[in-house]
Amino acid sequence: MKSLTITEIEQFLKSVEPEFDLRVPIRLHDGTRSLGGLNEGPLSLMGGKIPLKPTSVFFPQTERVFTRESDGEIKMEKPGEKPILVVGYTAEDADCLEFIDKFFSENFRDDLYFQKRDGSVIMVVSGKCGPDGGFLKIAGGKCDLELICDGERFIAQAYTEKGRQLEKKMKASKEVGDIDSLKKMSDELPDDDLKTIQKASELILAEKVPDAFWVEIGDRCIACTSCNYACPTCTCFEVYDRVHDGTTVRERMWDSCQLDGFMREASGHNPMGTEDIRTRRRIHHKLAADVTRWGHLTCYLCGRCDDACPTNIGIKSVSRMIVERYSQANEK
Amino acid sequence: MKKTLTTCPYCGTGCMYYLVSDENNKITGIEPTANHPVSKNWVCVKGWNSFHFVNHPDRLKVPQIRKNGKMEQATWNEALDHVIARLREIRDKYGNDSIMFFSSAKTTNEENYLMMKLARAVFKTNNVDHCARLCHASTVVGLATTFGSGAMTNSISCVDEADLIFVTGSNTTEQHPLIGTRILNAVQKGAKLIVADNRKIRLARHAVLHLKHKNGTDVALANAMMNVIIGEGLEDKEFVANRTENYENLKKTVEKYTPEYAAEITGLKPEEIIEAARMFAKAKKAMIIYSMGITQHSHGVDNVKSMANLVMLTGNLGKPGTGVNPLRGQNNVQGACDMGALPNVYSGYQKVTEENIRARFEKAWGVENLPSNVGYTVTTAINAAAEGKLKAIYIMGENPMMSDPDQNHVREALEKLEFLVVQDIFPTPTAKFAHVVLPASSYAEKDGTFTSTERRVQRVRKAIDPPGQSRSDWEILCDVAERMGYKQMKYKNPGEIMDEIASVTPIYGGISFDRIDQLGLQWPCPDKNHPGTPVLHVGKFTRGLGLFCAVEYKPSMELPDKEYPFCLSTGRCYFHFHTGTMTRRSRILDREERFPFVEINTSDAKNLGIRNREYIMVATRRGEVKAMARVTDGIVPGVIFMTFHFEEGPANLLTINALDPEAKIPEYKVCAAKVRKIS
Amino acid sequence: MAVETKTEKDKDSASLYRPVFCRIVRISDLTPTEKLFRIEMPEGRDLNQKPGQFVQVSILGLGEAPISVSSSPTRRGYFELGVRNAGALTNALHQLKVGDEVGIRGPFGTFFDVEKFKGKDMLLISGGCGLAPMRSLIQYCEDRRGEFGKTFVIYGAKAPADVLYKDELEIWQGSDIFETHVTVDNIPQGTCYDGHVGLITTLIPPLEIEPEKSIAVVVGPPVMYRFVIMELKKKGIREEQIVVSLERYMKCGVGKCGHCTIEHLYCCLDGPVFWFNEISNLRGAI
Ligand SMILES: Cc1cc2nc3c(=O)[nH]c(=O)nc-3n(C[C@H](O)[C@H](O)[C@H](O)COP(=O)(O)OP(=O)(O)OC[C@H]3O[C@@H](n4cnc5c(N)ncnc54)[C@H](O)[C@@H]3O)c2cc1C
Ligand code: SF4
Ligand code: SF4
Ligand code: SF4
Ligand code: FES
Repeated sequence: MKSLTITEIEQFLKSVEPEFDLRVPIRLHDGTRSLGGLNEGPLSLMGGKIPLKPTSVFFPQTERVFTRESDGEIKMEKPGEKPILVVGYTAEDADCLEFIDKFFSENFRDDLYFQKRDGSVIMVVSGKCGPDGGFLKIAGGKCDLELICDGERFIAQAYTEKGRQLEKKMKASKEVGDIDSLKKMSDELPDDDLKTIQKASELILAEKVPDAFWVEIGDRCIACTSCNYACPTCTCFEVYDRVHDGTTVRERMWDSCQLDGFMREASGHNPMGTEDIRTRRRIHHKLAADVTRWGHLTCYLCGRCDDACPTNIGIKSVSRMIVERYSQANEK
Repeated sequence: MKKTLTTCPYCGTGCMYYLVSDENNKITGIEPTANHPVSKNWVCVKGWNSFHFVNHPDRLKVPQIRKNGKMEQATWNEALDHVIARLREIRDKYGNDSIMFFSSAKTTNEENYLMMKLARAVFKTNNVDHCARLCHASTVVGLATTFGSGAMTNSISCVDEADLIFVTGSNTTEQHPLIGTRILNAVQKGAKLIVADNRKIRLARHAVLHLKHKNGTDVALANAMMNVIIGEGLEDKEFVANRTENYENLKKTVEKYTPEYAAEITGLKPEEIIEAARMFAKAKKAMIIYSMGITQHSHGVDNVKSMANLVMLTGNLGKPGTGVNPLRGQNNVQGACDMGALPNVYSGYQKVTEENIRARFEKAWGVENLPSNVGYTVTTAINAAAEGKLKAIYIMGENPMMSDPDQNHVREALEKLEFLVVQDIFPTPTAKFAHVVLPASSYAEKDGTFTSTERRVQRVRKAIDPPGQSRSDWEILCDVAERMGYKQMKYKNPGEIMDEIASVTPIYGGISFDRIDQLGLQWPCPDKNHPGTPVLHVGKFTRGLGLFCAVEYKPSMELPDKEYPFCLSTGRCYFHFHTGTMTRRSRILDREERFPFVEINTSDAKNLGIRNREYIMVATRRGEVKAMARVTDGIVPGVIFMTFHFEEGPANLLTINALDPEAKIPEYKVCAAKVRKIS
Repeated sequence: MAVETKTEKDKDSASLYRPVFCRIVRISDLTPTEKLFRIEMPEGRDLNQKPGQFVQVSILGLGEAPISVSSSPTRRGYFELGVRNAGALTNALHQLKVGDEVGIRGPFGTFFDVEKFKGKDMLLISGGCGLAPMRSLIQYCEDRRGEFGKTFVIYGAKAPADVLYKDELEIWQGSDIFETHVTVDNIPQGTCYDGHVGLITTLIPPLEIEPEKSIAVVVGPPVMYRFVIMELKKKGIREEQIVVSLERYMKCGVGKCGHCTIEHLYCCLDGPVFWFNEISNLRGAI
């Protein structure tokens, strides 16, 4: 069992830099944490989830689909030269990634996504390195390798062959660590939020949430799109062409179901033409529609939409309101 | 991947975020910052899409010169030599004041400073102005008169602390979205909200009181509120006595504005006015937030003064959670004003008419005989051009064809010019009239600073290289100055320009790129150790005592009548910015609002047999425009609303060229119109 | 869970989002705003669509639009698209000439399940542009006569000038395979027209049908469904005997972009053709 200091992790990352396109937790200019290369800012393993949509590594805000010079062949986008190595997902982020892997491969396989995703390596960071000294849930799988912080060092746990290969390359000054007590702490983390969204999900599916509720919430939504753009399981995109000096470039970019134009048809007909329906859509999608389609919730409680929504209508706060108001126990 | 911290190029809220760019010199997205005091974790939909126009194929990439009526590509050398040759000729033939410079609220402080320096030091004219004329000129004049400082008195974060927020003439959640959300949150936490606006804007749904007063009757409303406050003894006597002057005059003027009298003018119920007055006066901390609904009138300055009066009367100044808070529309309209891109002042609002100030600038700039006469404004310049008095305009990053009132009049003016230079990032409708077009770089391709509506000076950073041969505005301006033989306009980088600005501008005295590296500073910031000023007028007004300016209600210039029965009000929508040059080239934003539209009340539409989404004709005495009807209860009967984003349905073909006598701001918010079906 | 590395890295040509260039071989005007395009795949290939499926049509520089295949797969060597000029891309399509190329992806989506319709009486009810996808099924019934019972073709347009596939409607009206009824909502002044006038719903009550052995297929503008289905129910046709084809804003056509969702369903993947009982209680479906 390897137990590494931050410096040792950094040395390890430097050693694999020639092989991988690194996306590791770094601090940007004003201290904001992000995922990037080691040259983009100092490594920042402590502090919990990275604010940006973590799945943007494989599904960026804009990406090229193909180009075509006038009358030439269509040239599809080529995969990057090196596989991507991500460090710094939380356990929740790994759940999200697992889901969107499934989403992008089911029925039709989205080759643009898998161009980046295939061959990539995911390392979760967990344990005693959350914001303000908080404890981050241990993933225990769903990634190639996990770095579990015991407060001082990070214990490496490999879960896949690729993970084991990389673990071998890690040079640790200590080879012991108390993983069991950390796992115990992880198991004892409160699951109130999960219970809340599960309950909210049941209430929505049982049609217990009246339309008036969505009107009230929708009144506060300014359609900034941040909730979608921050959410690791939001995958909607828009496609458009641009012509640069005779070369057509087709690109796709993140879209948001909170926008009126998202479903508006050429005739003006719009199945999601009011903001209450759109606000409902976002919550309903993760807590009800996907339960019907995939058999499980597709919100993994990463907490980003609650952070990103400027008017406090992220999924946790909305779920809390739903449970407070409409669950039997609270219904008078 | 590279992530560059910068400031949003859209509204004056001044959100900062990172531009994400790739190895191919292309911006692929944005990433919010987690630490910014205003935009912590957040940006609005325009912010999220603010990178998308940068790589649009329409970007101007090569200088062009008109030859035999046709635009032809040219080298920078040819283009700039042509520019100075023609400007010299015109100056020598018609005099210094025959040339006008339009600066831009879209460009950086450094570039605005250079533009006014170019106009004054090199071309020896005070003919320099920018689009603040069209949005907040009334604020600059009105608040400078009453308080001595023409800017937002408080900070955006003050919204969190207010007990009562009075929003008028601002559709905040759409035009300053992240200030709007603060208001929504304050209301969630118990603050009271009064909205005075005759459109049912989002904020109105959260207001305890929604006053739908008629467009242009704000003075009557404010005077009546003050009438009630004084009548019921609710004024802050101590504040009035210690901190203000000219109170008796105000008291006398508002005497006649009883709620009943004002009700007749405003179309409100007297009780509504009384209620608003009481709530405002009784709140511990009340703030006014206003925007173009107050300023864009032929009596815009009066409106602003009324807001100042109301706040002084209730003592809501000089402390957090209060104040008169004009929300500046453009990302850098505050800065462009601060930099003296105005015909009457140098940077820091130092008057060109004062000899000692001129002497200081003469020394600093190494020139003699700086002009002392106040120059043309954007609006009077167009009039002067139409009359043949003005011969040349050098436009940097403005689009008067779309933004100025009465488009036909503007066209006529531009056609009459002997020489027009347009320096821009896109081929705007204005550029069609240009003799020389100079390709500039966008905010993502240069360094500098923007000053947000809360007077926060913050960094703009270069993320990628400019496309083609385009160059930063500051480099172009310096090049022009050098070609004119002026030696003191050479800089290695915009940081050096800021150092010069700080040395000649007391309110920016302590500002430097080092100090604002991450957070920005709010002016006044007179020296290197000053922490900046979140709240103005603490303990003392900039001018000493606050001046009550009693004003009478004056009707708007052109009121609806039999022939033109509707009141046409103009403005913006959430997804587009101003003349749409950037937002209409951003995919998602463009998709949201694709067609020129006109909001019309359901009952009016029914009477005229107009269906939703049907194209109709809107006409005023200036012309007519085709737009898609948006039938809604969000607007009161008798009023129609259009935006000026659409080249193919330009609202400013319809608006009236009626100006406020002092501020010279046009009356965009009221003119008489009619609508008809297209059969 | 990490995904296995793909061994052949460059599976370029198989990309989901790569259009195939196809040639337009014939264009005919259907109405002033609608044109019919006959298109051939490269190398004489067949599209291999099933009736009711759609393709994504690309015009490079403008983007893509979903268009139903309007011809039956029983007619080989080409496929046809009936396109209304509704906006930027469709307008550009209307400007194209014979010999020009368009990009095609697909066919996508669910189809009219003709296997399940075998032996049934068919009510093929379409309104406006809905005849475009319906035509693929009508042609199929025409070519596979005998596979189905009595077949009604019911069609409604706004006005006589908007009637699509006039020539073919005439053939179907004269054919013994179909019982065909056409109506228009109203006749503008000064138009000669001697057919039926009234909403499409007025055509349904008089039909002589045996509800138990019938299948109704309904395709039309959003407003049409509710009322037509109400009439069908009055005739004793149950929800599970009704098939609808729905339209949504679509970008990818393959269940990824999210624009076409109806609660948990994707109109491009789980639709556009649905059994009505699968969607009747989904909010916003019709
Ligand atoms: C399954 C299915 C089958 C269909 N079958 C047929 C058929 O057989 N025949 C037929 O005529 N029609 C059919 N349609 C409808 C057809 O797809 C639409 O009419 C077509 O997509 C309109 O595209 P347009 O570009 O011409 O219209 P537009 O209105 O120009 O564009 C359509 C949408 O694209 C977006 N958009 C376009 N341009 C821009 C821009 N510059 N910036 C931002 N956003 C933009 C808008 O959001 C708009 O809602 C079908 C639709 C579906 C879903
Ligand atoms: S918490 Fe919000 S952002 Fe995170 S997965 Fe759930 S819905 Fe998405
Ligand atoms: S983040 Fe909040 S305000 Fe923004 S679109 Fe989502 S719900 Fe609406
Ligand atoms: S609120 Fe204003 S400054 Fe902030 S992201 Fe939106 S447009 Fe930009
Ligand atoms: S069209 Fe993209 S998901 Fe259906």
